Amino acid sequence: MSLDLNQATPEDIRERAAIDRSVRYPVLFFFTSAAAWLFVATLLGFLSGLKLRVPTLWEDCPWLGYSRLFPVHMLALVYGWAMQAGLGVMIWLMARLTRNELKNPVTVIVAGHLWNAGVAVAVITVWAGLGRSMPWLDFPVWVAPLLFIGYLMVTLWLIPMFRARRAGEVYVSEMYLIGAALWFPWIFATANLLVGDEGAATMSTGINAWYMSNLIYFWFAPVALASAYYLVPKIAGRPIHSYPLAQVGFWALAVLAGWTGFQRYVGGPFPAWIPAVSGAASIFIIVAVVAAGANFWFTLRGRQKLWEYSPTLRFTLFGVLMFLAYAVLSGVSSFFSLSQVLQFSHFVVGLDTLAVYGFFSMAAFGAIYYIVPRITGCEWPSPTLIRGHFWFSTYGIGTVVLTMLVGGFAQAGQMNQWDQAFVRSVEVANGWIVGRIVAWLLIAAANLGFFYQLALMFIGRGRRSAGPTLIHAEPGSVGSAEEAVALAGAGGHH
Amino acid sequence: MRNDLWRLFSWLGVAFGFPWLFLVLLPYVKQSSAAPVPYAESDEAGFVAYPDPNMVRAGASDYGAEIYRREGCAYCHTQMVRPTYAGPDMWRPGWGGREEEGLARETRPEDYIGEGYAQLGYQRIGPDLANVGTRLTDREKLHIQLYNPRANTHESIMPGFRHLYRLVPADGRDAALKLEGKFAPEEGFVVVPTPEAEALVDYLLSRRKDAKLPASIRPAVAEAAPAEAPAQ
Ligand code: HEC
Repeated sequence: MSLDLNQATPEDIRERAAIDRSVRYPVLFFFTSAAAWLFVATLLGFLSGLKLRVPTLWEDCPWLGYSRLFPVHMLALVYGWAMQAGLGVMIWLMARLTRNELKNPVTVIVAGHLWNAGVAVAVITVWAGLGRSMPWLDFPVWVAPLLFIGYLMVTLWLIPMFRARRAGEVYVSEMYLIGAALWFPWIFATANLLVGDEGAATMSTGINAWYMSNLIYFWFAPVALASAYYLVPKIAGRPIHSYPLAQVGFWALAVLAGWTGFQRYVGGPFPAWIPAVSGAASIFIIVAVVAAGANFWFTLRGRQKLWEYSPTLRFTLFGVLMFLAYAVLSGVSSFFSLSQVLQFSHFVVGLDTLAVYGFFSMAAFGAIYYIVPRITGCEWPSPTLIRGHFWFSTYGIGTVVLTMLVGGFAQAGQMNQWDQAFVRSVEVANGWIVGRIVAWLLIAAANLGFFYQLALMFIGRGRRSAGPTLIHAEPGSVGSAEEAVALAGAGGHH
Repeated sequence: MRNDLWRLFSWLGVAFGFPWLFLVLLPYVKQSSAAPVPYAESDEAGFVAYPDPNMVRAGASDYGAEIYRREGCAYCHTQMVRPTYAGPDMWRPGWGGREEEGLARETRPEDYIGEGYAQLGYQRIGPDLANVGTRLTDREKLHIQLYNPRANTHESIMPGFRHLYRLVPADGRDAALKLEGKFAPEEGFVVVPTPEAEALVDYLLSRRKDAKLPASIRPAVAEAAPAEAPAQ
């Protein structure tokens, strides 16, 4: 992969600036409204945890019941924040990779409004009591077209860009973006058409689980990896370690992801081969994640220290690491020995949160830290807030995953003591649920700083500087000359 | 360039098309067209077919299913009893169905025919409800469970679904919930169920996925027969 890393000519710089200008408004629109949804989702995550721990709070208000807050929290997190941030990343990345200006920023902004309207309607209807107990698909079926059309109106523009790209090899990032653009409408339409109030009963439920897993592996993963494959080499200041390895990882994901998902219901009322095949696929898919992770590792070899300085690199790598954790945990937890205990336990929430926040959101933050200075022309105001954003997020997601993992073992282990009262399993889990509450508080704290900075950037009140904002050192005081060069290449304004 | 795009598209389509067709679409179509299995004479089941066509979408429970869905019960309750090799569900008293009558078993795809979307559940914070209709048959108790779970089980963390009930002046109604002590409503008032609550309770009572299987399909589950579950 021959990215023109540090040798940007003046024309290159002008060209990039023009591209960045062309995507500026749509991308900023997506990032800021995504951030607003993230705030809502974080609050709902906190409230739903609180309601689980203290069920007697606000008992007369149906809107504040756990079984409304939790699905609404997930909808806001997945569609409002994660997918919307991902859409912004997709447009910017495709424009940069193919060196095309976005011809139709207005349509994209209109589409963005449509998407937001879809999310808002989804959230409000489910909250108001029209939900369907279908994780990530709870909204009434007529909401789906809003999201579907909004999505297509954004991603269709990626295709002419891809076709008008300069001659040469197809970058892996481009393949991931095209994959994500194509796969999401397919899985989303499939899920919304097949999963409903009529039709095959247990297959509908299975397809719901399949949809969740596919959204993670066929959309979150490609978008996050597209961004990582672009950003890691940029920041390392050298091309990606191995193009063939990247290809292997891509195709492994493409071939396997569609088979995952049904393992959520192992032992369930399905033809037995279905969850078994899903379980196997969810083990093998670890290969795809390891391939990507190894590639980044070797690309950075000898320059790992950059992780300490570059916010982009730090968030991105952390996201990739969490992706690995997710893949491994979801794979091994489909073995009978573990599924006996963990299936349906609190661990489920930990795992889903790990995918959406630990993995995808962190990778998306990495991309946002890179993209926003380029499209706004100013730098992030405060390294302290970036640091806080990272550490609070890390502790937050660590807390959710660990407490839900350990709590899940405790809860379901107790439940499996079949001769003891069921409610013991409830009591055992109570303490661990506190972890979930604290975690969302930590994540909320993390993101307050992020919102504040993003808002400043949005109104053009960022730092005016030639160098990027680094986590620890101001540019110039970086340890070695090599790092300084790499960072300048990575962060320098254009 | 054009070719590149179409080649890439085709390969991506193939990669995804396979699982889409073989894992999702075909099993879905196959299941939607599954017909009830008739009982043989020797089954002595008392019904004509499994699942019992009368149980499938029985009257009011249909509306109850909608309430169950809307209230998000499935975020805390499963309706799926795993075979013994996949978890000890059937050892929990009543989860697998009526043990005394030798009917307890894991749930099968046919048990959900007609439900549209099987509420297999997201988490199991509360007990499995696949067979709740066989073990909790007292309407009153179920209403109290929905109105104020802590009146049934002190440590419960199930939310009360108060909005499915009405607080009305006590003028000699007998449909009121018997709430005692600190759970009692204020003086002179009683709590009565709305039609939604009644439908939901009907639905819960209809959760009986332990119908006897016709001999023609029984061998498929022989290895997980409830006989091996310890006596209660
Ligand atoms: C926050 C999670 C939660 C939600 C939401 C929830 N429940 Fe429960 N449910 C529990 C817990 C925990 C128990 C066990 C403690 C108890 O018996 O109260 C339980 C017990 C029950 C029982 C008694 C089961 C038995 O075998 O004793 C029934 C029936 C029930 N729930 C029905 C419902 C229905 C119907 C809904 C939706 C309207 C619902 N639950 C929503 C957590 C929940």
